[in-house]
Amino acid sequence: MQLRDHIESPCGLRYVFEQLELQAGYTRRWMLDMPMMRTGEEIAQSYEVLRQFVDFLGRVDTPYINTIQFRLQGLKDIRTTIKNLGHQAVLDDIELFEVKHLAILAVDVADRMKTHGLDQAVEIPDLNEVITILDPDGLKMASFYVYDSYCQELKELRIQMRQHPDQQEDLLAECAEIEEGVRRDLSKQLYRFAKPLEEAQMALARIDMNLAKALQMKQLGLCFPTISKDDTSRYEAMFHPQVKDALAQRKRAFQPVTLTYGLKPTLITGANMGGKTVVLKTLTLCQYLFQYGFGIPAQSADIAVKDEVFFCIGDEQSIEKGLSSFAAEMKNIDAVIKASRENRKIVALIDEPARTTNPTEGTALVSALVKVLRGDNVSLVMTTHYDIEPTDAHCLRVKGFENGTMNYELVEVQDGEVPHEALNIAESLGIDKEWIETAREILNIPNSVYLTPSNSRGLKSKGVEFDPLGEKGGNE
Amino acid sequence: MTFIDDILNYDSLSIVGLQKNTGKTVSLNYVLDRLPIDRKRIAVTSIGIDGETTDQVTRTQKPEIYLRQGMYFGTSEMHYRQKRIVSELIDVSDENTSLGRVVTAKALTGGKILLSGPSSASGLKRWMKDMHRVGLDLVIIDGALSRLSLASPAVSQSMILATGAAYSTNMTTLVNQTAFIVELINIPLTSEEQLKLLMPIEKGVWFVDSNGALHEIKTVSSLSQEIHFEGMDDCKTLYVAGALVDGFLEKVRKNPKLKTTELVVRDFTKIFVTPQQYRLFLKLGGKIRVLQKSKLIAVTVNPTSPLGVVLDSDTLCAKLTEAIHLPVYDLMKEQCN
Repeated sequence: MQLRDHIESPCGLRYVFEQLELQAGYTRRWMLDMPMMRTGEEIAQSYEVLRQFVDFLGRVDTPYINTIQFRLQGLKDIRTTIKNLGHQAVLDDIELFEVKHLAILAVDVADRMKTHGLDQAVEIPDLNEVITILDPDGLKMASFYVYDSYCQELKELRIQMRQHPDQQEDLLAECAEIEEGVRRDLSKQLYRFAKPLEEAQMALARIDMNLAKALQMKQLGLCFPTISKDDTSRYEAMFHPQVKDALAQRKRAFQPVTLTYGLKPTLITGANMGGKTVVLKTLTLCQYLFQYGFGIPAQSADIAVKDEVFFCIGDEQSIEKGLSSFAAEMKNIDAVIKASRENRKIVALIDEPARTTNPTEGTALVSALVKVLRGDNVSLVMTTHYDIEPTDAHCLRVKGFENGTMNYELVEVQDGEVPHEALNIAESLGIDKEWIETAREILNIPNSVYLTPSNSRGLKSKGVEFDPLGEKGGNE
Repeated sequence: MTFIDDILNYDSLSIVGLQKNTGKTVSLNYVLDRLPIDRKRIAVTSIGIDGETTDQVTRTQKPEIYLRQGMYFGTSEMHYRQKRIVSELIDVSDENTSLGRVVTAKALTGGKILLSGPSSASGLKRWMKDMHRVGLDLVIIDGALSRLSLASPAVSQSMILATGAAYSTNMTTLVNQTAFIVELINIPLTSEEQLKLLMPIEKGVWFVDSNGALHEIKTVSSLSQEIHFEGMDDCKTLYVAGALVDGFLEKVRKNPKLKTTELVVRDFTKIFVTPQQYRLFLKLGGKIRVLQKSKLIAVTVNPTSPLGVVLDSDTLCAKLTEAIHLPVYDLMKEQCN
């Protein structure tokens, strides 16, 4: 699986990717083709490189960075040309120009990297010889034609051409033949550089990517994660950049969340609008960012490496496939269970499974899922509104309303009992009174105050300043 | 010829034909042949395919574009490979056209070339910016076909208009139609102050009150039949960012509240009104202004239509000159003389 396959995940990976200030279109395509890293060594190494770039940004001034970025804008995708060269084809003027252009860029950037001790971080093959071949006059200019100095005869013909424009047609034909010979010669000399050219092109993309990632870490306040050694992921003050930005635009703050999960199933319960889905989104996003070597949106993070990430979010009606939301969800979760039986390390982040069916069967399905999706290769984090038997699960609950505002903090609880706040929240949203009252009667609950035993601090339906839409902050 | 000197006052020139076969390429070659390349660094490109030896649509003979040594040009990869001159590549862009990427090169000998540059206005603007950045003084755009909008003042500072019998073989019609386009091209700019205010607005209908405050007229589209100018008792300027059409112009003319209002459009290519409506508007005291304007340097004529009708060159030039108060040239004839 490549970044291209994960980028549309509803966790918001595309948002973070699009925020990268990549200079070359090629870098973007190259990144989208990158396979997801699946070993701790690989990931650690990529962060080691990124760390050197972050240090580099701290050492040099902005204009210098801008110069490098400007140079990198000249990075072009010349894979076809390099392939032709590899197949020992004779390159034409445009292709030779591309080769020369890449070589000049690579040498220039390599020099800058070396000056700042980054030549070990990303190695760029030495292409000085390519420049020498394509720059016979030593002009050091990124332009190309079959220069006069390649062949005395060509030079003379061209002088003649300028002196006798009337003979141009015939002279051009003669020149064309000589030029073709020169190109054949040049191509032959360049064959052995096909591989270094390809490597240089990728190295430049890697520099572009690392610069962009390093800048992004600064801009979004991301951290370097450590690699977990015990299959447990730990996040301190984790946030979702996209939700945070959206809230900031409305002058509201994102409340960071701290959370640890491992191989034991983790159940998250909590009031409606308590940010449970955002927690799952953020966990999924962080997992992908980690395995593609980006900075992590948290104060600190210790993350376990996985082979595959599953993010199942409800409401995925698949009209094309003719599946109802329930069917689509069941299919998705089915894929997770199947994957869990293979010998791969997976993380499954499932948002309110079976929410669209009747509560009796729904509760049974969810309880069963906790039993089925476990093992030494599965990490399960699941949100639910169903009261399920928490057989040896790690239960977390959103703290909920405190003094009229939502506290998105996750607290450990002993059981999976869900808070019963739906009616109060609905009432505070200004939903039709008759509807709510009737529901209360049906539940046979006293009219004025109803508090569940597990949430006795927070919400009274009357007299308390209540902020269901999260005007004072909110992770919805 | 004096208009060559005029061109040198601007950093960009587009050559636009009102119709195919109105002699645009002749005009381009004429200009390229006479520009002082020892003093000015010149780049030339085209919108879409041009410079083909026969016209793609009418299959009539077309002159090729002749570049002089030292000129820069932008063309497609395909046409670059077919070039008949010695030239040095200086850039291969990411700008894609149906004939491959746009490449830029410098002519090291004179010779004939097929031009096919960027195919979008934004691509063209980027290319021109690049050319100016590498220090070129004058960029010339061969506005292929009659795509006036791509030669709009948003793109180039000055303009040469090619007209001729291909546009109409009736001399009176030809003169009147050409004169109307010239009149639109010559609409004056609005005040400096309003330019600043209105330039960033690219859509909608807006008005400026006598205090200089800007208001959007949300319920109005300049294209809709249902136009209401309510709450606009104090309307000093009415700005149409999109197309200006007959219906709208008529509503403005008939509204007594807008009697002294200045009507502003982005540039002349956004005006799609009939000469009748336009003239009536002006006659009844209407005032129209633009935000962007190209300097029309000259009008050239080709008195021969592709179907073989030949108008009398001298009469045509004389009549046009009288109608537009600008020099008119039959360049084919000039060259024969």
